Amino acid sequence: MTDSRQTEVFERVVRPHFDRLYRLAWRLTGTKAEAEDLFQELLVKAFGMLDQLVHIEEPGSWLCRVMYNLFVDQHRRFARQRMHLVDEGHLPGQGLADLAGDLDPVEDRERLEKYRRLDAALQQLTEDHRHVVLLHDTEGYKLEEIEGMTGVPVGTIKSRLHRARARLRQILEEDGTIS
Amino acid sequence: MNEKRVIEERELLELLQDYPVPEAEAGFYDRALLRAVHKGSRRHRNRWILAGFGSAVAAGLAIWVITAMLMTTPQLPDAEPTIPGVTIAMEQEHTVRLVFASAEALDSATLTVSLPDGIELAGFPGQREITWETSLKEGRNLLPLTLIALTPAGGELLARLEHKDRNRTFRLRVDVS
Repeated sequence: MTDSRQTEVFERVVRPHFDRLYRLAWRLTGTKAEAEDLFQELLVKAFGMLDQLVHIEEPGSWLCRVMYNLFVDQHRRFARQRMHLVDEGHLPGQGLADLAGDLDPVEDRERLEKYRRLDAALQQLTEDHRHVVLLHDTEGYKLEEIEGMTGVPVGTIKSRLHRARARLRQILEEDGTIS
Repeated sequence: MNEKRVIEERELLELLQDYPVPEAEAGFYDRALLRAVHKGSRRHRNRWILAGFGSAVAAGLAIWVITAMLMTTPQLPDAEPTIPGVTIAMEQEHTVRLVFASAEALDSATLTVSLPDGIELAGFPGQREITWETSLKEGRNLLPLTLIALTPAGGELLARLEHKDRNRTFRLRVDVS
């Protein structure tokens, strides 16, 4: 294939999945800078595997799996380092302040405050627990899809999900976010 | 499961389902696609990530670090970005730390600090913009900056880190008491 043909084929295969992949990158990393870098790394890697990619039946799932593996390989060690910084006084959820919506200002404030508390609660979970609850409960991935992406057995994912929800309920009940 | 638990479970799931994520910046997908197919970027892509920008006030050295989420404004209308802030006293030195975390060592990064009116960097009297060339090690990199307020106006300090074709700009609100 010529370069321009390769580019065209690559774009046709990957572009339909961009929004899903970007959201996944955000859920895994939690910051825009890291999400963008992870997204970029994925595209670079995927383009290098174009010959393989064009024959894959479900490129979206494949791309999610590759992104997850990239995250684990290249980001997890760094993420632990970042958590060390968080321990020094992270202000969780501040980035959500920009997510004002179309509601009236009072409702918006209440909504954002809830998200901030949820974000803070999520930060108290282990990374594995946080990811499974975000992928399943927030992004709507099925347990089997998470298994395919992460390689973690469904039984373990269920267990993590159960414990993650229980911990979140406890935290959010204590701070009055949920009744 | 008792009724209270059911309600809690439902509330939690609703909260999680609605938990938002910012959309990608306009043009980001196109740029990412271009970079991915560019041969040079495939061979020599230097990746760096800024995880935080923090400040340690002189009194307590209680560093607070705010993740890069803070510095990134989703493309939503009428949203005032939240900017981290520090309050310093007039004519007294306060150390502010930039905390950069990089996924890998980077050579020849350029750091530019732009100061608001009335705020100076110790050792650079009268300069509003100071630029360094620096290298980042893998992991956490601290750069202490000693600020002095000469007027009570305060303002925004900008720190721009550039490496090759990538850059990040951070903002810190400086109030003067």
